[in-house]
This record gives sequence, C-alpha cells and structure tokens, in this order.
Amino acid sequence: MALTDQLSETLVESRINGKAKATSAQNISTVNSIEVKDVTVSFKTKKGIYTAIKDINLNVKKGEIISLIGHSGCGKSTLMNTISGMVNPTQGTVTANDKIVKGPGPDRGIVFQNYSLLPWLSVYKNIYEAVDSVLVAKSPAEKKEITTNALAMVNLLPHKDKLPGQLSGGMKQRVAIARAFAISPKILLLDEPFGALDALTKGSMHIELLKLWNLDNRNKTIVMVTHDIEEAIFLSDRVVVMNNGPAATIKEIVDVPLERPRNKKDIVHAPKYMEIHDRLLSLLFDKFSINDIH
Amino acid sequence: MKKIFTLDALYTILAFFGSLIILGLTWQLVSILTKHEIPGPVPTWTVFKELIADPFYDYGPNDKGIGLQLMSSIKRVFLGFGIGSLIAIPMGLLMGSSKVTMRLFNPIVQILRPVSPLAWFPLGLLAFQAAEGATVFIIAITSLWPTLINTSFGVASIPDDHKNVGKAFGFSKWKYVTKIMFPFALPHIITGLRLSIGVAWLVIVAGEMLSGGVGIGFFVWDSWNGLSLEKILIAILIIGTVGLLLDKVFNAVQHVFAWENK
Repeated sequence: MALTDQLSETLVESRINGKAKATSAQNISTVNSIEVKDVTVSFKTKKGIYTAIKDINLNVKKGEIISLIGHSGCGKSTLMNTISGMVNPTQGTVTANDKIVKGPGPDRGIVFQNYSLLPWLSVYKNIYEAVDSVLVAKSPAEKKEITTNALAMVNLLPHKDKLPGQLSGGMKQRVAIARAFAISPKILLLDEPFGALDALTKGSMHIELLKLWNLDNRNKTIVMVTHDIEEAIFLSDRVVVMNNGPAATIKEIVDVPLERPRNKKDIVHAPKYMEIHDRLLSLLFDKFSINDIH
Repeated sequence: MKKIFTLDALYTILAFFGSLIILGLTWQLVSILTKHEIPGPVPTWTVFKELIADPFYDYGPNDKGIGLQLMSSIKRVFLGFGIGSLIAIPMGLLMGSSKVTMRLFNPIVQILRPVSPLAWFPLGLLAFQAAEGATVFIIAITSLWPTLINTSFGVASIPDDHKNVGKAFGFSKWKYVTKIMFPFALPHIITGLRLSIGVAWLVIVAGEMLSGGVGIGFFVWDSWNGLSLEKILIAILIIGTVGLLLDKVFNAVQHVFAWENK
C-alpha cells in the first residue's frame, strides 16, 4: 500500500515536470488530431449485449504518439477500431482530423497486428495497390515513385518482387508500415504491430518507426495498441492504461516526459524511465509475487 | 544438380507397371470366368493395333477412325465445360459475396445439382432443336455445379484480414473484386474446375449415346451394335486414360495458382 502511494506521488511530480518540458522541448501542437468523446461500444452476442468499452474520453494532439495498454480483452483494440472506423461507437463520437469518423478513411493509415498483406501480390504490388486506391489524383508515374520511395524507406527495395510468404515476420511488418506511410495519412494507427516479432527484431522496428516519424517532421499522430510496457514507454508521449473489460474504461493516462530523440540503451537507466515503468507495472498488476496471492 | 531418376521415381514407375499387371490379370480372370464372352487383354490388343494403325480415317458420317471420334468428343466436352464455367464462375462470385445471395441461390443449386444429365437431354433437344446442341447443353448444365459451389465457398471464406485491407485503403468495388476476391477464390475455383471437367467427361458418353453422330460415346454404342466387345473395352480404357490426363492437367494448373504454398 505504502509503496503504491509513494509511487503515485513521485509520478505526479514527474508529470508536472514533464508537462513543462514537453511543451518547451518537444513542441507538440495544441491542435487535437483525435477526439474520442463519451464513446461506448456494445456488441450483440448470442448471450446478450456485451459492452466492450464504456464512456471513453480521450484527446490526442497532432504529432503525439500514444499507446493503449491493458490486459488481453480489455477493449484496447476496440477503442482503436473506433478511431480507424472499423467499428462504429454505439454511443458517443470520434473525431479525427476535424471530421466525425463514420468509416475507415485514407486519412488514417492502419498497420494490422497480423500484417494483413495480400499473399498473392508482390511486396511492391501490395503497396502500389494501396497507393493507387488512395492517391487517385496522382499520375501512374508518381504512384510508382511513391511506392518505390516507401520501399526504400524501410530498406526493402531489393525484396520488392517477393511474395509476402517469402519474407520474415519483421520484413512483413516493415512492408505493412511502408504501406501505411505511403498513403501519407495524418494519423497512423498500429494494432499490436510488433506483437508477433522476436525481441531483437522488435527493438530495431521501434527505432525504424521513430525514424520514419522523424523524417516526417513528427507531424503524424500515432496511436498504438500494445501489451508491452517497455515498448509503450520507449515510443510514446503518453500511455493510456485501460481497465479490464467488460465495459472497460481508461484507468489512468501516464505521461512519458522523456526527451527525444530517445536512446534505447541509455533510456532504461534514466530514473524517470524506471518511475514510469514501475507506475505502469503497478497499474497493470496488483500482485507482484506469489506471496501476494491469497 | 538435381537427379532426374531418383529412387522414389523408380518406385513410382514400378508401382505403375504393377498396377497395370493387376488390372490385366483381373481382366484375364473375368474373361476366363465368362468363357471368353468378354474378350481378354490379348484379343483386345490385336483389335487395338488395327484401330490405332489408322486412327483418323473418315469413310462418311457413320464410319470414322478412333482418333477422330475422340477429338470430336474432347471438343464437345471443352465447349460444354467452357460454357458451364463461364456461367458458374461469375454466379459463384455473386453467390459467395453476401449471405443474402447465398441464401437466395443455394436452394436452387441444391435442387438442380443432383439431376442426372439424361433428364436434361429432352429439354436440350427442345431448346436447341438439334442433338449436337443438346449434348453440349447437358455437359454444361451438369458440369457447372462443382465450379459454382467451390467458387461461392471460396468467396464466402475470405478472411477478415484481407477484407480489412480493402476497407482500410478504400478499395473500389472493382479493385476489391480483382485484387482480393478473385485471387483469394482462385485456388477454390480451379479445384471446382478440376471436379467439373471430370463430370463433363463422365457425361459425354451418355450424351453421345443419345445423340449419335460422332464421338467416343457413339463409338461405344456403334461397337455394341456391331457386337465388337473388344472395341468397347478399348473405348473404356481410352475414356479412362483421357479422364486421367485431364485430371493431371488441372492438377498442374492448380499447383501453378496455389499462392498459399509459395
């Protein structure tokens, strides 16, 4: 009990410090890119109505990276799907880029958990078809250039004629990320993007993602669903911790006032990092050792 | 270097000859048991050599070589099968594309599918006023069902992952059909076509027996009238071999389009 109190105190402190720093150093815009307002999502099932998330309010600023974290089945993916437009809220509204979300749209690029590449199209074609579909106004030559650039960005140009089945998991996910970036959406939505990758690949993918975000002048708003605490801290400006479902709500939003560019090796030794890490752990688990289980 | 003759290939060839020997022995046994009413392999082989010596002779409408008979049957089968597939594939795509169309069309398919080709023949005669048209018609209408059902099943089982790509990147209807629906269903469609060509080849003999003219089915009937059992047995073996070859061809096509295994 005492430990948690102490933790939250220090966290409040660091959060105040962080906010001041964030506005000065990181220059996050004050414009809201995403506004989730009183959103409730219920599904009809055979056993009756199941409420996945309830009364969620969340604003995400332009250029901000936020993570949604929580246990399996807590509705974090559902929340993200209301932003992508794959799921319509039962109540409340989601506004993205000043427009009320009514369905999926090219202003929001999505990277799916299981890559969702079309297995019968080459790596190049997978990206080209998305570009061709979204950037209707461009000429074929421009579309080809955009596709090639996107592939070059993730260093997959030598593999452009391969089928997705011939690629490793990490490469597949790079194709999926390149595809999402290629249509230059203002918002990027990542649904457990690195969940299926091994730890080493995951680490380099984090850096790659931040590199792409930097190249874009940190203008893209990124929302990521994850269940990996280290990943959430390393990438995000804020971490949204969700309660367990059904009818999940936001438990707490934890600021991550660590300066960018972040260094994977150094960051873990920063006292602030450890504070945030501990705080997230205690939010996600109430039992830390077998002695705590009664 | 890849070896052309592996031990495995050798076993396959040996097994093939083994099964030919079993077939020949059984045949010979049946021939002995029926007191040579049914000719054995040896007299059949003699007749076969005569037939194969000049397979493409043409002595008028009722006397043509075995090669010509076979060619006209294959042509007819592919015409009927082609027409059937041209109906079955689009219908299958439509049927599988939504639950509503599935519910609307499935009962019709289930009712018409088990109908014997012979039952369709009079309708074909009435509609086309010719035996030739009627034969093609019964091949088309009995062989289209496996393709139709497989196509609709393929389309109906497109995973959400693939559908979501279309949604997320705002694919047009046309792009969705050509880049997601059709490629996903293609292996299923080809499996359907493989079953369909089998059915079409099965139907041809019955169709040509009824329609007469020229063709391997007519050849069987004509041999019966001429009481040449050797010729009937030869026809049976040829029909079987061609059926096997057709299946092999479609099997190869299936492998070419199976993106799953790549």
